[in-house]
Amino acid sequence: MGLDDLLNLFVAAILLAGIYTAMSIGMTVIYGVMKMVNLAHAGFMMLGAYFALEMSQRLPIDPLITSVLAAPVFFLLGIATHRGMVRFVPVADEPTLPSLLLLFGLWLVLQNFGYAVWGADDRSIFTPLTMATFRFGGIVVPVIRLIVFGIALLSLVALHLSLQHTWFGRSVRALTQNREAGQLAGIDTGRTAMLAFGLGIAFTGLAGALLANLYSFTPDFGGSFMLRSFVITVLGGLESFSGVAIGAVIVALIETFSILVVPANYQHAISFILLVVVLLVLPGGIEGLLQRWRRLR
Amino acid sequence: MKDTGIREHGGSHRPAARTAIACIVVGSLALLGPWGSGIAAAQSAGCPDAIRIGMVFPMTGREGRPGTYQVEGIRLAMELINAKGGVYVKECGKRLPFKEILYDDQSDQGRTVQLVERTMSSDNVVAVIGAYSSSLGQAQSVVPDRYQVPWISPGAGASPIYNQGRKWIFGVLAPVELLGYTTMKFLGSLVDQGKLEKGLKIAIVVENTDHGKEYVEGVNRWVKENPGAFKVVYNESFQMGGTDFSGILQRMKAANADIFLSDAHLQDYITMHRQYTQMGLRHRMVSYGARGTEEPARKALGPAADYIFAGIWWHKDLPYPQVKAFVQEHKKKYQREPDSYYPSTAYDAVRILAAAIESAGSLDRTSIRNALHKVRLTDSLLPGQTLQFQENGQAMTPFVIVQNKPGDKVDFVYPEDSRTGEVVTRIPR
Repeated sequence: MGLDDLLNLFVAAILLAGIYTAMSIGMTVIYGVMKMVNLAHAGFMMLGAYFALEMSQRLPIDPLITSVLAAPVFFLLGIATHRGMVRFVPVADEPTLPSLLLLFGLWLVLQNFGYAVWGADDRSIFTPLTMATFRFGGIVVPVIRLIVFGIALLSLVALHLSLQHTWFGRSVRALTQNREAGQLAGIDTGRTAMLAFGLGIAFTGLAGALLANLYSFTPDFGGSFMLRSFVITVLGGLESFSGVAIGAVIVALIETFSILVVPANYQHAISFILLVVVLLVLPGGIEGLLQRWRRLR
Repeated sequence: MKDTGIREHGGSHRPAARTAIACIVVGSLALLGPWGSGIAAAQSAGCPDAIRIGMVFPMTGREGRPGTYQVEGIRLAMELINAKGGVYVKECGKRLPFKEILYDDQSDQGRTVQLVERTMSSDNVVAVIGAYSSSLGQAQSVVPDRYQVPWISPGAGASPIYNQGRKWIFGVLAPVELLGYTTMKFLGSLVDQGKLEKGLKIAIVVENTDHGKEYVEGVNRWVKENPGAFKVVYNESFQMGGTDFSGILQRMKAANADIFLSDAHLQDYITMHRQYTQMGLRHRMVSYGARGTEEPARKALGPAADYIFAGIWWHKDLPYPQVKAFVQEHKKKYQREPDSYYPSTAYDAVRILAAAIESAGSLDRTSIRNALHKVRLTDSLLPGQTLQFQENGQAMTPFVIVQNKPGDKVDFVYPEDSRTGEVVTRIPR
């Protein structure tokens, strides 16, 4: 492979990392505040994909713009889900069986809801942008992937700003670091958890809607993305938003470049080997490593 | 007293004899009772109200769409047969309708085995029609010999399923190896006609399943038999359900091949070909094995799906009267024409089963199994119009090659006698 090929691979990996970050951040927000592994993640991603499809068929505007509408809609859906069921799960400092079972059950319900409403047919969104590319020297950049990457990046910046500069963001960070200390400082944990769940689902729905512009989908959509999100979240350090972004870049780079040394049919296994290695060697993930490095300095 | 005694004796003798006879009769009846009722039960079991057929398909999950289409094909065939009174069963002296017992395996290999076991052991079925996809078919195929129930798959084409020496399994799809071989035979015919140059380079990217492996075997067999005609310069496999093919496609690009051959399921075909196009890759000819003409793929890929060629088991435009009738009936029942082979092979699976039951004249599973080995469906929907199982249980109908053309058109391009349009050997930019 020549230099152009390697550069193309690098660009593909970075664009993939943007998608991975967008789909993993929702899981991290929910885990950070509520210590729940959102096993319904794939279900909400699937709903996000169908939301984008329905909107694109009903509104005479670009599906990428309608995809962005998924964020506020899924925020409300997340709030409703929290009010309706998640808030009844006992609060804990680590994932509990009831929360896992509840969210797994919710995934199955959402999946079956998808089959009931949309059937099992493969659906997709196709626009003039779907196949458009532009060339930069020998590098070919798919326009749709670049736009999806840009939207994912913008939403991350928005999340970062809201976490840094709003009362809600400070509450989220406080509860992520130490729930009891946050409570002592007067944070309304119930309200913050509800908003954080809504925010997590908003990101998940947005990611699903964006992915609908790249992939075909059925109500089964999202399963393999959820497993990757889990790997990235663990790699990032479970509660760290910057760790998730770095984790997504690492997973995307390893998956993409592994083809040079490992047969392509082991590509899926690589993420999970990485997960096992991280759990054994680096249980705190990238964030833990960064903290250790900061302490040493 | 003596008389009395004698009388008494005689009197006592006659009643004793009667009692003995009565006992014998009652005893015999008692003995005969279960036997008699056993005969009645056997007759009732032999001639039930309907012919119960187990069906295990993926109606949801990854293979939900093709699985659902196959169930639709089965239901259509059963409905049409039942409308004529059903299947004539000689030992019952009457026609019996089909009755389905359907299970959704959710595209899960473990679940599909459980469900086939369940329907074979508990549902009193005379046969099971099951499995879309070779991987689900592989899983199901271990069960029929255990329960000695005939099993017909309309959607599992990988020949390793049928080459294990099993006696109770049948497959309507011709082997995938033949698909790879026919694809190469088609390309070879283009070389003979001067439409392709000799010695062109081929890149192969297939799913890492029996389906994919067998496709490669077929390609390699032809290449070996025809040295110098083509050269395979890249051969890679990928895991099904991929989300990113950029690495594998970039490596393929570096191999600088002229023709790109793949073997993939629908979702992977869509994902891969989207990335293929987005990466600006170009080959003179492109194929995704049996995929290419499906409506969801053409919607998802737009003009990028034009000129892709596919080796297919069936197409709705095959010029046979029975195909036209099938398409009409399908449209009448489901308000759409079949857009893929899925319902057609399932439809023929029911028809060949019906023919086997009539030929056997019985609902005895062994008789039906034996009849399935012998019957020929001479008005089959499939290319060649004759469906017959080989000794290993798998059908060997020929493939036809089609090529997508702009405007959602599809042309038959191989074999020559079924050609409906010119083959395009250089995909226009």
